[in-house]
Amino acid sequence: MGEKLGKKWEIRFHGRGGQGAVTASKILAEAAYLSGFEAQSIPFFGAERRGAPVMAFTRVSYEAIHERSQVYTPDYVIVLDPIILDAVDVFRGLKDGGSIVINTVKSPMDFQFEQGSLLVATVDATGIAIKNNLLVAGTPVVNMPMLGAFLKIFSHIELETLEEVVMKKFGKNGKANVAAVREAYESTVVEKVRGSGKPSTEDVRRKRAVTMPVSTPSPGVAGRTRFWRDFRPEVDYDVCSNCLSCWLHCPESAIQRVGSRIEIDYEFCKGCLVCSAVCPKKAIRVSREVVV
Amino acid sequence: MKSNTTRAVRIITGNQAAALAAKNAKVRVVAAYPITPATPVVEELSKMVETGEMKAHFILVESEHSAMAACIGASAAGSRTFTATSSHGLAYMHELLHYATNARTPVVMAVANRAIGPGWNIWADLSDSISQRDTGWMQFYCSDNQEIYDTIIMAYRIAEHRDVLLPAMVCYDGFVLSHTAMPIEITDVNDFIDEYHPVWRLDFDEPSTHGNILPPDYFMELRREVCEAHERALKVMKEVEREFYEYSGRLTPLILEEYRLEDADVAMVTMGAISSEAKIAVDELRKRGVKAGLLRLKAFRPFPKQEVVEKLGSVEKVYVFDRSVSPGFDGQLFSELKAVLWDLRSPPEVYGRIVGLGGRDVTSRVFEKAVLGELDKKWVMEVIY
Repeated sequence: MGEKLGKKWEIRFHGRGGQGAVTASKILAEAAYLSGFEAQSIPFFGAERRGAPVMAFTRVSYEAIHERSQVYTPDYVIVLDPIILDAVDVFRGLKDGGSIVINTVKSPMDFQFEQGSLLVATVDATGIAIKNNLLVAGTPVVNMPMLGAFLKIFSHIELETLEEVVMKKFGKNGKANVAAVREAYESTVVEKVRGSGKPSTEDVRRKRAVTMPVSTPSPGVAGRTRFWRDFRPEVDYDVCSNCLSCWLHCPESAIQRVGSRIEIDYEFCKGCLVCSAVCPKKAIRVSREVVV
Repeated sequence: MKSNTTRAVRIITGNQAAALAAKNAKVRVVAAYPITPATPVVEELSKMVETGEMKAHFILVESEHSAMAACIGASAAGSRTFTATSSHGLAYMHELLHYATNARTPVVMAVANRAIGPGWNIWADLSDSISQRDTGWMQFYCSDNQEIYDTIIMAYRIAEHRDVLLPAMVCYDGFVLSHTAMPIEITDVNDFIDEYHPVWRLDFDEPSTHGNILPPDYFMELRREVCEAHERALKVMKEVEREFYEYSGRLTPLILEEYRLEDADVAMVTMGAISSEAKIAVDELRKRGVKAGLLRLKAFRPFPKQEVVEKLGSVEKVYVFDRSVSPGFDGQLFSELKAVLWDLRSPPEVYGRIVGLGGRDVTSRVFEKAVLGELDKKWVMEVIY
């Protein structure tokens, strides 16, 4: 026990709104607590909605946890969604020699980073979620298999303890979730990967001066929100009567009038599907976005 | 390793802790209107009332102003009442907060502290409740979820005490505590808190009014009574704190908490969740040879003047950290600390720092650097890690 005093682990989750990153961080805290640790689960709340990049944090410690701040230099990072690798620097602040678990069909060697070396674990959690029918509104929910994958590189919590918490949490869906946890645990590939070892010195924290809280109309105030989209609306111009109902209702002004017709700006469309819902002609078709 | 499986512990958010505390404290009337980040308290309570798990009336209202009006009415009628709010919702209650005090209705309210806009912001900032400082409510500021649970229960014992009869706010940082889950012990308080026995109440069988006209001949007496009740509350708080400790085994401070202060040269003074981070800074500073200590104020009203003077009487320097500001002056806690320490023959040097407004993250490094003299400006803008 002596060498364990002061030992604590900080874990950062990256996902998109609706994928269950917050639930995963809480379940991990519960499993850690049941294993005899102190634990804490912090959701990071921004102006996110379904599909927006989100974070959550878990702290696990042998001693009382006094931290109330977010996690900036995690020991572990868990990436629930491969799509956000393009939008968010998931490696940021991750300790050199730390570990990252990524939901992807790629292999650990495919990832580049600025740390000297990392333990990289990969798992096709999306595939496992689909196989076990963990779907909400057609979208695979990968949070539980990702916890299974995490335990492959985090040995302080027994798989059985996690399964017990998952079973309790999900009731009638407990069995499917536990099956996914176990399958992910067993299929996770772990490798030690070398990085560039050259951390960028650029200070990403900008100085700001704010006087009046005034904003002017502009597209994409939340950045390029195409990453938020699970479903893609497409206009069937043969059916469209150009009534402009979708143009009026789009909450992001991502539908524009171009010449005599409307066009969807896919850089900023979040896939909320309000356009499809309000279209009186059912001229806006919906399809799944391609999953990486 | 200790076994964590045998204690009555649940890993829950601050908001869930607040709702469970209201239920277990035998609250019989809830009137509330949802606002981020306090909304989950209201959701939990309405759920528990609906399922019958909580024996209470849930009054649907159209605003926070009405919520407080309903709480005052229900309390005056003899019911133990509870509400929860935040930010603009609390500001909207302002008129009735004064009313609850002068009417001597012991309402208890959870406040998930949040900034006030515009500059629309839903994140942690104590400005909402500090702005209500002079309404006559008792104010407690928590630094973890266990404290939220314990303090709401104890707040009823203090508020309803015959020597006090004042409303109380139990405040906790929005999101930082309201939405963060941590293990807390849900102690059964059935034998700690009885059903509410009002000293007086509105009664159909013996009609009376209250809150009617009070001419210059009497009004000052009423206000002095309120102020004296605050002074008496400090004594009651000490008794309730002790009694709760004997009952639950937990020493949950109601007035203040000190950490490594006994031999300190430099003291930090804080309120709310950031106090917990400050403890880490105390340990770090001590490792570096700086004799630092922490004084956390749990009660902001009544302000424990004498206790603060005793605790800080022999330190050389005091750093006060405010997660709020009074534009045109300073951080409010800083101003009050200086006022209190002025009574000392040779007061310590007192410095104020403004931190963490609108949810800007406050890490232990902020406290460390301030004490080491590396943050010499009043406003700490950086997130330091």
